[in-house]
Amino acid sequence: MKQTAESIRERFLKLGIDVPMEDIESRLDELITKFKVPSNEAQRSVTNFFLKKYSIPKNEFYVRQAEPQLTKIVDISENGQWANLKAKVVQFWENTHDSISQVGLLGDETGIIKFTEWKNAELPKLEQGESYLFRSVVIGEYNGRFQVQLNKNSSVEKLTEAVEVGSGDFTLTARESELRNIADLVGGHWATVKGKVVQLWENSHESIEQAGLLGDPTGVIKFTNWASSELPDMEEGKSYLLKNIVVNEWDGKAQIQLNKSSSIEELNEDIEVRTSTFTYFGAMVDIQTGSGLIKRCPECKRALVKGACAEHGKVKGEYDLRIKSVLDSGTSTQDVLINRELTEKLVGLSLDSAIAMAADALDPGVVLDKLKHELVGRYYTVNGHKLDRYILADSITPRTSLDRELLDEMLTELEVE
Amino acid sequence: MAGFFREVARRVFAQELKDSNLASRDESDQYAPQYVMTPTGAKVNRIFLVGTLIEKEDIGTDSEYWRGRISDPTGSFLVYAGQYQPEAAQFLADCELPVFVAVVGKTSTYTTDDGNVLTSIRPESIQEVDEITRDLWVLDTAKQTLERIRAVEAEEDPNSKLAKEHYSTDTDYYRVMVKKAIESLSVPK
Repeated sequence: MKQTAESIRERFLKLGIDVPMEDIESRLDELITKFKVPSNEAQRSVTNFFLKKYSIPKNEFYVRQAEPQLTKIVDISENGQWANLKAKVVQFWENTHDSISQVGLLGDETGIIKFTEWKNAELPKLEQGESYLFRSVVIGEYNGRFQVQLNKNSSVEKLTEAVEVGSGDFTLTARESELRNIADLVGGHWATVKGKVVQLWENSHESIEQAGLLGDPTGVIKFTNWASSELPDMEEGKSYLLKNIVVNEWDGKAQIQLNKSSSIEELNEDIEVRTSTFTYFGAMVDIQTGSGLIKRCPECKRALVKGACAEHGKVKGEYDLRIKSVLDSGTSTQDVLINRELTEKLVGLSLDSAIAMAADALDPGVVLDKLKHELVGRYYTVNGHKLDRYILADSITPRTSLDRELLDEMLTELEVE
Repeated sequence: MAGFFREVARRVFAQELKDSNLASRDESDQYAPQYVMTPTGAKVNRIFLVGTLIEKEDIGTDSEYWRGRISDPTGSFLVYAGQYQPEAAQFLADCELPVFVAVVGKTSTYTTDDGNVLTSIRPESIQEVDEITRDLWVLDTAKQTLERIRAVEAEEDPNSKLAKEHYSTDTDYYRVMVKKAIESLSVPK
């Protein structure tokens, strides 16, 4: 509030009018503290009051204000506030949305802040390292942090004189995030984690460099390394320090993403992973559609539906075998995904013979029938990682003998009574 | 209840299912699943059973409608498959008797004119299986039935209480049933 009062006073000083500080402050205080008026509204109201008091025409006042009032980044403190600032484009980030034209960091001598330039703002492209005067930008708040938004009403003017940006290498220091345990990760934050690559998945999309599971002694989490991150690949079974990763939540589960500003460091140690593999025993009660001989999109590996990929349309698919099964223990059910390798082993049917079978019958449905015929109704123990409602099977074994111990135990109990 | 969930396939011996006459359904919702409450408190909508298919008959008049009788150590289940269960009907039409089968299906009840409640099974799947699968099912079902019997004796959950209230369940009778079932397994091979 002191700042606001000072800025009002300064503006009147420029007009040669010395408004007593106490007057400004007491008026501001009344509005802000007593009447809960937002400080920018209060500022306007107080300014107008003094304009009236000193008989200065409003339009004259605002026109005469040749130099726009500048805000320093460190002073940005209110959601919804309009501001003008001089700042340098420190860094561009990955553009995450169609409606955004540029996103990144701005810096001045007092700090740095995220900026977002909306596509519909129709502003010229900013260049990294250049300094600009940003007029009429809006301060937004997201996840407890302020950001600058450039919209239709904003304007950008390139400055010849570079704006000094705080300390030297401060993009790193500012965004170096805390080392955290995987189990403690929650969405909407930056973090640094140390973990071992437990599993790498088949790449499901061209924009993804690698995806899989990363584990540490506290848990396992899904990670995605975007192709645009330009980071090196990781190897299964090796441990890494991942700095400045983004944690977000999808479907209620945290996952981590590596982008341009993240870094990967291979570690010499072998990080112990809390085994979060699940074991489930039950009867296979269903094999769902989409199982058996399927075709996948060669681009993104998604399963095709009626010969078309949800992303890439009509494509010439690649054959694959998989089973989406449901195991049932009698008290719960569990969806289990069985990949091609396990399917081939479990059923004794190679992909090639499955293709031949389907070609023979002119119907890929015969493969699904065979799977149902061989598997449904039998008891299995499955081991694997849990993902959403599925277990991704690492192994699946048919139960082939009775648990004699359990049998004897039950017989004894029933005998006694 | 949030969203869709899959009904668990309960394990119940034929004798117990035959003794069941308490059907329930949430009346306010015509799409609500129908359940059969058994004397040991199993709330059955879907059922999984493995037994020996000992009889089959096409009882349909216009189109095929197959009835199969599947026995377990305590009695037998009746399954009915018609045009809406084409795979199961096909299986019943083609198979040779007797054969070990595994059935996943939905139970449905029918009240006769004299007030008897008959429970039958509409199969979602019938598959031929081997003997060990049948033995595994008997042990599995025995274990789960025994757990339910204990729960009824302790009256520990709402289903147990409801079952006890409705049937005045004689748990000893069902203990004998379980014993009979597993004794057939204990012969060393």
